[in-house]
Amino acid sequence: MPVLSILILLPVVGAVVVALLPSRRTELVYPVSIGMSIFPLVVASYILWNFSSGDASFQFTEHIVLIESFGISWTLGVDGISLFMVALTTLLFPVSIAASRSITDRTKTYMVLMLLLETGVLGVFLVLDLFVFFAFFEIVLIPMYLLISMWGSDNRAYASLKFVLFTAAGSAFLFVSVIGLGLMTGDEVGTLANFDFRNMLNLDLSSNTQLLLFLGFGIAFAIKIPLFPFHTWLPDAHTEAPTAGSVVLAGVLLKLGAYGLLRFNLTLFPEAAVDLALPVAVLGVVGIVYGAAVAVVQPDIKRLVAYSSVSHMGFVVLGIFAFTTQGLSGSIVLMISHGLTTGALFLLIGMIYERTHTRKIADYGGLAKVMPVYAGIFLFSAFASAGLPGLSGFVGEFTVLIGAYITLPVLAIIAAGGVIIAAIYLLWAYERVFTGAVINEKLEGLKDLGFREIATLAPLIVLIVGIGVYPKPIFDRVEPSVEIILDRIEAATDFAVPDFGRRADLADTEYNETSDESVDEEREG
Amino acid sequence: MQEASWLAVGFEIALLVGALAVLLVAVVAGKSPKYWAPVAGFAFLAAAAIGVLQWGAVSNGDGGLFFSAAGVSIALSPMVVMDGLSAFGSILLGLVGFVGMLGSWDLVSKLKNRAPEFVALTLLAYAGLHMMIVSPNLVVIFVGLETASISFYILAGFMRESSESDESALKYFLLGSLASGMFIYGVALTFAATGSLTIYGANSIRDFFSTTIITDPGILLVGLALMLVGILFKISAAPFHQWAPDVYQGAPSAAVGIMASGVKIAGFAVLARIFAGGFVAQIDVWAPIMAGIAALSMIVGTATALVQTDMKRLLAYSGVAHSGYLLAAMVAGIDGVPAMWFYVSTYAFMIIGAFTVVSIVCGPGSTSAPISAFKGLAKRDPLMGWLLTVLMFGMSGLPFFAGFVGKVFAFVSAGEAGYLWLALVGALTTVVGFAFYLRIVSMLFSSPDDSKTPLRVSVPARIAVAISGVVTVAFGIVPWPLLDVVREALPL
Repeated sequence: MPVLSILILLPVVGAVVVALLPSRRTELVYPVSIGMSIFPLVVASYILWNFSSGDASFQFTEHIVLIESFGISWTLGVDGISLFMVALTTLLFPVSIAASRSITDRTKTYMVLMLLLETGVLGVFLVLDLFVFFAFFEIVLIPMYLLISMWGSDNRAYASLKFVLFTAAGSAFLFVSVIGLGLMTGDEVGTLANFDFRNMLNLDLSSNTQLLLFLGFGIAFAIKIPLFPFHTWLPDAHTEAPTAGSVVLAGVLLKLGAYGLLRFNLTLFPEAAVDLALPVAVLGVVGIVYGAAVAVVQPDIKRLVAYSSVSHMGFVVLGIFAFTTQGLSGSIVLMISHGLTTGALFLLIGMIYERTHTRKIADYGGLAKVMPVYAGIFLFSAFASAGLPGLSGFVGEFTVLIGAYITLPVLAIIAAGGVIIAAIYLLWAYERVFTGAVINEKLEGLKDLGFREIATLAPLIVLIVGIGVYPKPIFDRVEPSVEIILDRIEAATDFAVPDFGRRADLADTEYNETSDESVDEEREG
Repeated sequence: MQEASWLAVGFEIALLVGALAVLLVAVVAGKSPKYWAPVAGFAFLAAAAIGVLQWGAVSNGDGGLFFSAAGVSIALSPMVVMDGLSAFGSILLGLVGFVGMLGSWDLVSKLKNRAPEFVALTLLAYAGLHMMIVSPNLVVIFVGLETASISFYILAGFMRESSESDESALKYFLLGSLASGMFIYGVALTFAATGSLTIYGANSIRDFFSTTIITDPGILLVGLALMLVGILFKISAAPFHQWAPDVYQGAPSAAVGIMASGVKIAGFAVLARIFAGGFVAQIDVWAPIMAGIAALSMIVGTATALVQTDMKRLLAYSGVAHSGYLLAAMVAGIDGVPAMWFYVSTYAFMIIGAFTVVSIVCGPGSTSAPISAFKGLAKRDPLMGWLLTVLMFGMSGLPFFAGFVGKVFAFVSAGEAGYLWLALVGALTTVVGFAFYLRIVSMLFSSPDDSKTPLRVSVPARIAVAISGVVTVAFGIVPWPLLDVVREALPL
């Protein structure tokens, strides 16, 4: 059974169903859309359940040749890296659709766009043909653009266009690199072009070609992540987007970039990846500190969370370019965690915005007295985001820091400072919004969270705690896939991945400090 | 070599008979388009059907050269070639012409007495366009070019009560004649250099190059350059594009779609015929020039489209950029022809659809079409709003719309021919292009100024836009049927 094709196409089917609802029965749109977005979650759970852990290769693969001479095919597969991205996507979409109760204008169009967006994102994570991958990567822009520009707040036209132009500008380089790579692969297999990822892995590219292609792919993904200094589109887009848009943007869309780096840059261009690891990791760390520092002074709470995303994604990049088992798997866990915690924060901000129509921190104060349940959940999410032990953020950040410390100790130490700033901006924001006396009379008499709102947040909270307490199931599935990426890097370059904590060597290895230092010198030299 | 074939010239016959029939029926049966308009539509469909028959004949190996005037002069033979290129051209021009007729229904009903002329001229113009594709003889290509051009000069000035329309026609006529003159001068110089006017057959240009090496190709190169400029002018590639925005602006909207799509199809087919087919030996000379023109067109077209406030001018400039993308495919010579066909056949429908929407929103004979007029279109008429959105997405080259597939194959062809930098220029200008296409889209979805005046859309115009939208989506998601066809649509 083509499970993955079904998974990708289910949201489209849902979109068609929603679009065909009789236009007089507007009350049906909301429940039907939630229902339609549950189906992909069910299929994803099936995949999650039947995924064999410990197996590094692609599972549930499908392969249909679409255009023989151009070597374009419908190739799907899921491994440890994409598995949890898919799960996160299928979870966040029903949640954010459920949180879109306040959308009353053109609800049907809104829901159709959300479901189409889900298809686009799932396509990016599951497709292993670079041509089709690019198509999905790019198509994600359209529904997101329309969501921001049709349902965003005041400055939406500017923000949505900026979002599209920034990300599309990166995609232009990706596009040319994909074509170039496709033509080279075509020469290898004897057709005009070939875009199958698995064929591309067999290419033997010169270091210059690797460098160019790495940059071509890398710019597209760096903008999407967003890596400092390509992050300027993000605060605008996040702030102007409707709540669900922000949740999906932060929770899923940013991961497309990091996923791309992991999946393509590290495996296809290992030499260039090793050569450029230090500068990229430095940009990641700059992003961590800069994003956190800027977040501290934001007067707009949504903008604050947006900048915190820049900071968190910096950790992800640092983890990836540390080239250690802990770094890579930690960054994947951190991505999941970031999707959950930032998603929860954006949902919470959306809920209060619906009541007060302001996002200015200065307009709030003493909210904990008026809405105690809301305050509690907000504090919980803030702690999770800041990386409190026992919650998911800690697991991700801590693993990334360990991984980074092995190969890039200085950067890891600086990055650890970012965690402290995170605590500052989140807790200071909490203090200003929730504690003290109620200074703004508009806040008095606000209704606390209702059942629907708590139910929307519940799955995120449960998972934040679950992953925080027992992350082993995730690591079990992620690590094999991470290991083969590292094996590839080791095979293609003279970079030696530190043995510390490597699964295959766990039994008989000890952490060897000297070999570690030599690695560092190699990198810098 | 066969002497005569009705099938090979069937497209022209169908449209010429159609043109005469329209005029006759209009005189005999009455002025109401109800009587004669179906004749025109039928003529286009019949022409497309003949194209399908030609295609069948070509795949059976019955294609080839026809109407050789062997007894008269070696320079004049043969006159008609039936191959994948001309057969596909028949199908495409027939269908595009049909959709164009549907889209111009509003204009036709408004023109009253003059309407039959408008339709007859359209039929004649398309017959001329196909003559360019179907002939291997450079002089006949020129005759086709002039037949089409003169008809289009008149169509551009059809709203003669408007001074803008007059200006448009005059400008088109003056500059167009200059370009035609360049083309025919190029033909003459080519004849001087090679001693032949025909691409195929005995004593053809191809024969000449297979047996002769020109040591001093000066005259030939000037000839080639002049022919190239003539065609580049017609397809409005930069820097020969200055006429396009003014002509588009002044001509009645419905006519512009018919014009823009038809000329692009025939212009690129004839480029394929002459350069990729005839002057293959000189590809190292003309391909770099074409690549330069392509890059310039992409950049100039996109950059100027950014600042336009008028929809028709914007589409004109974006058309310049699209010529650039199409030229990018052509630099690969014969290998780029399938990509060119895919691109131009989908683009033709998009541009007709877009101008049909312009004529719906701003009035069929209108000369100006400010972008603000499209404000809130999605609220006033959701179907039209969404269809125009689809067309804009298609033109902008977003994935899962036909424009994306076309661009990819154009750039793959260019990359394979060693012009990967052209793909980079193309990809970057495409991104810049998003800015103005999306500006229109966001205009469509903002609130309309005049509360909620519903739009009056005639059924044929609705069908025309719907067909364009369906083509844009269908070949964007499932491009391979068309790709399989265009792969065979090569010059002999």
